[in-house]
Amino acid sequence: MFYLRYLWAELTRRFGKTVTISLGLALSSAIIIAIISISQSLSIAQDKVLNPLQNVGTDILVSRSISTDNMRDLDETTRTEIMSENKITTDLSKLGNPGDQFTNDNFLPGTLLTFSSTDITKKLDPALVKEYATGLILNVTHQEGKIPAVTATFQTGGETFQVKTEMSDTDREAMRTAMDKAREEVKAKGITPGSAEEKAAMDEALKKYAPTMSTEFKTPEKTYTQDVGPISTDINTTSFTVAGVNTTKKDIGLILPNQIIEGKYFDEGTDQIIINKSYADKNGNKVGDKITLGKKELTVIGIVDPKLYTNTADLYLPLSDLQNIAERTDRVNIILIKSTNAKSVADTSKTLESLFEGVKITNAEDTAKQVSGSLVNASNLVNKFIGLASILVIVAAFIIVSLLTILSVNKRVREIGTLKALGWSNGKITRQIIMENFVLGIIGAILGVGLGILIIQFLNHYNINLSANFANESSKIGFMRESRNENTTTQTTSTNLSLRVQYSYIIMMIGALTSIVGSFVAGTIAAMKSAGMKPQEALRKLE
Amino acid sequence: MELIKLTDLIKIYKQGTKTIHAVDGINLTINRGDFAVIIGASGSGKSTLLALLGGLEKPTSGEINISGINFSKTSEAKLTKIRQKKIGFIFQSFNLIPTLTASQNVEAAIAKRSQSDPEKSKKMLEKVGLGARANHLPSLLSGGEQQRVAIARALINEPELILADEPTGNLDSKTGTEIIELLHGLNKKNNQTIVLITHNDYVKKYSSKTYEIKDGKIVNKS
Repeated sequence: MFYLRYLWAELTRRFGKTVTISLGLALSSAIIIAIISISQSLSIAQDKVLNPLQNVGTDILVSRSISTDNMRDLDETTRTEIMSENKITTDLSKLGNPGDQFTNDNFLPGTLLTFSSTDITKKLDPALVKEYATGLILNVTHQEGKIPAVTATFQTGGETFQVKTEMSDTDREAMRTAMDKAREEVKAKGITPGSAEEKAAMDEALKKYAPTMSTEFKTPEKTYTQDVGPISTDINTTSFTVAGVNTTKKDIGLILPNQIIEGKYFDEGTDQIIINKSYADKNGNKVGDKITLGKKELTVIGIVDPKLYTNTADLYLPLSDLQNIAERTDRVNIILIKSTNAKSVADTSKTLESLFEGVKITNAEDTAKQVSGSLVNASNLVNKFIGLASILVIVAAFIIVSLLTILSVNKRVREIGTLKALGWSNGKITRQIIMENFVLGIIGAILGVGLGILIIQFLNHYNINLSANFANESSKIGFMRESRNENTTTQTTSTNLSLRVQYSYIIMMIGALTSIVGSFVAGTIAAMKSAGMKPQEALRKLE
Repeated sequence: MELIKLTDLIKIYKQGTKTIHAVDGINLTINRGDFAVIIGASGSGKSTLLALLGGLEKPTSGEINISGINFSKTSEAKLTKIRQKKIGFIFQSFNLIPTLTASQNVEAAIAKRSQSDPEKSKKMLEKVGLGARANHLPSLLSGGEQQRVAIARALINEPELILADEPTGNLDSKTGTEIIELLHGLNKKNNQTIVLITHNDYVKKYSSKTYEIKDGKIVNKS
């Protein structure tokens, strides 16, 4: 058909214009595709990250959590409870003899006070909640070392006492008897009385007859002070967190089977423990290692990458095992709840508040508020500007294309005038111009989608890292003593994501449409302009 | 037989505050088979007259009657159709579409589209002596060759009337003469009615009717 040949001739022989307009359209399409794709990918990443509750099939978290701000406002009962739950008394003497190796674990709930799990089972019926799981998160202070021997050396004696004492009756009698006997002996020997010889003989005889005298005396009271040097202790203290999880629920809980990255989830075996990836990386733990916790030796059966960022622990055990080891049977300090239907999250939250005293209810919105970091910043930035940017791009593209099209029509004034003189109706001319622009729009759309894909590939190639930081719930209370070698559990959890921009057919279509619609509208304007041209004016212009 | 009849034709333009009487009361009759030449200096109103004859302009007053049709009483759309079927235009600057080949340029004017259009165009080009140049773009053709293509284009629908607006204006005298002779030949051979405007005197010798136009009025007739 002639019209097609004319169209082809126009696009190929005015090639510069064809290239310029299609590239302009392609660029705007590509930018739109990129902006929308990035925004969408950030939203997806945000959802995953900002709603960690979602990752574990939960709508609501219930805990009796005390924060350092409201400590002052606490009532006596709660304050007492915190103190008693968090007391550590280690009686080393009970752990063995001096010089023995010992390990001792102290399990403390920190700021997450515990509830009774039977109480929970009673209160949470299926009408209120669809599903729930409980957990017990405890801070562990782990002490290992040798029981110190405490010795002190005392020096006593070497003191001289001067004592005066009264003779007893028995002694006096014995003395008298002895004197008599001695006198008799000396007399019998015929020694001169009163002479030195007599004295010596008397002494001898007395020694024989009264050799001893007994007496009692009380030593004066005296206090001895000896400085004892500092006790050398060979004790290492580390801390970490441990959580007991419901192993019966597979899609709601502090950790889930699908979050295991090495090894396996808990099964019917005994003495099992699973380690958090970040803890394993720090301490070099592997599947198969043995860990001693509170006198029990546990085997590492798996490594987990938990997705409930707001409440993680370093080590995970089956709930009942932890309750036994930590001597907290029937206690839990966190409940994960899936409400019966999405709308009633607010209602369920209210009901829960009334059922359990002093609880803190957290839902998806709350966790989202706790997050900060580059992911959140990037998302906010993009969301703020995506609307504006898209509109700007579309308007800019439209203006550019319109200008180009009108310019080209102006260049073709004579051509159009001639066609009119030759008998081409306005309708025919309009149709021809719009068709030309439509084809340019399609070329722009194809190039634009191609360019958009390249931009996305480019962004993904750079593995842009985004992070999100969460304040972790199971934080320690200030008044717990810190010892020298403590590895403090982090107060915030960071999770990193690589920005992975997704390809989406719909977004590509939107980009393509931008090009086609833009060129179509520009073409219409240009066509209207050319239709308004009077053939005579067109021809006259050049004479 | 009468083809064109102009009665008291007046065309007034307003240019700012000035009023221009481009055509100031023209009466003339052109018969079929005439080779009418309208001679006048630039600004004499000849171009306006031609535009009126071609239905490209509407008269301010007076009547244009071509082939029994009163142009003043005809709508734009109908005029366009009439132009397409019954009138062929030749312009001073050739006005070929630069992106189309010679043959495609001729095709562009075809009123009734059919499969044989490319062939018809080529045949017409042969008639004007340009068979060999059918696939050339205007940029590759000389002035005279371009004008021949324009003539072929003007003839393709077998129009009742050919209007030529200074066809030799952009050509050297030798080529110009060739073109005039080509047109003259068409007039003689096919009885093609031609109305040609020019400022060149020598064209007079080819015409069957010559009108001199000055200040929008016919001042001489021969």
